[in-house]
Amino acid sequence: MFGRNPKVTLLRAAVWAAVCVVIFKILLVHVRVDGISMLPTCPDQSIYWVNRLAYVWHAPQRGDVVALRFVPADDSISRLEPPHVMLLKRIIGLPGETVSFVNGRALINGEILDEPYEKLDCNWNCAPVTLGPGQYYVVGDNRSMPPENHTHGKCERNRIVGKARL
Amino acid sequence: MKIVFRLVLLVVLIAAGLWLWTILFPGPEKIIRKRLAQTAAEASFRSGENPLVSAARAETLAGFFSTNVEININVPELGRHNFAGRDEIMQAAAGAHSAVKSLKVELADMNITVGPDKLSAVADVAVKVQVVGEKDFDVQEMKFTFQKIGGDWLITRVETVRTLS
Repeated sequence: MFGRNPKVTLLRAAVWAAVCVVIFKILLVHVRVDGISMLPTCPDQSIYWVNRLAYVWHAPQRGDVVALRFVPADDSISRLEPPHVMLLKRIIGLPGETVSFVNGRALINGEILDEPYEKLDCNWNCAPVTLGPGQYYVVGDNRSMPPENHTHGKCERNRIVGKARL
Repeated sequence: MKIVFRLVLLVVLIAAGLWLWTILFPGPEKIIRKRLAQTAAEASFRSGENPLVSAARAETLAGFFSTNVEININVPELGRHNFAGRDEIMQAAAGAHSAVKSLKVELADMNITVGPDKLSAVADVAVKVQVVGEKDFDVQEMKFTFQKIGGDWLITRVETVRTLS
């Protein structure tokens, strides 16, 4: 039952268990979407994996769907422990850029942003917001509701937990 | 071998001693975490709860706050609500009991910063509120300010935080 050498089998099982814990508890975090702000890309109650290593070697990119900490982290919080509550949003603005919405179209530094993922009607008009160093502009794909009912805006880099694998 | 055994025993004893110390003399952060968990538990209620029990729970809940507490809630779905003092908290708790049959309040991702004087602290928390039996729930980032008053950590201010600016 335990093979020819039970000690080796036990060691193998322990190593596999440790690998699984590291991968599925620390590196990849599963999230369940609750809400409609990322429709139609991420339907309500759908489940995704968030890769926490995605931004170790490069900065977040425009168009990435990212999981954000609801509560900002500081050094006292263990960086290994994933947050329990997160926001799933898409990055549209990068550090140093100015983001605004005119007649439902997102403008980056005054130029219209091509957003093929945005399928629902939007009529937002939002004043320009300039992003500082380390700040990103995040918003959901579903902008059919009034902007005040949709959580969007500037987000610090340390809030970004990882990239969602869609 | 005997020395190794004694060393291992010593390490185990030291670890057990440290663990016991944290249990017997918890730090401010641990006390505040426990207080927040108690607050969430007392703010939750089930349907068909005895009115006397509800009143007692509301009084217990109010006891976690300072007498001059200020609560400022501002969320799009509920609008702006301000409460001041323990009496208004008890009234709000009674109002919640009459408005919904049951409520489940959970706190997640607590980020507690204790002041250098060890007499004040701020806790950033994700508050999840759900009417029991309903699929939908609301999550709101909130900031709790604590002060050590009369040897007890009491909540002196509660405010909603806009998650993205």
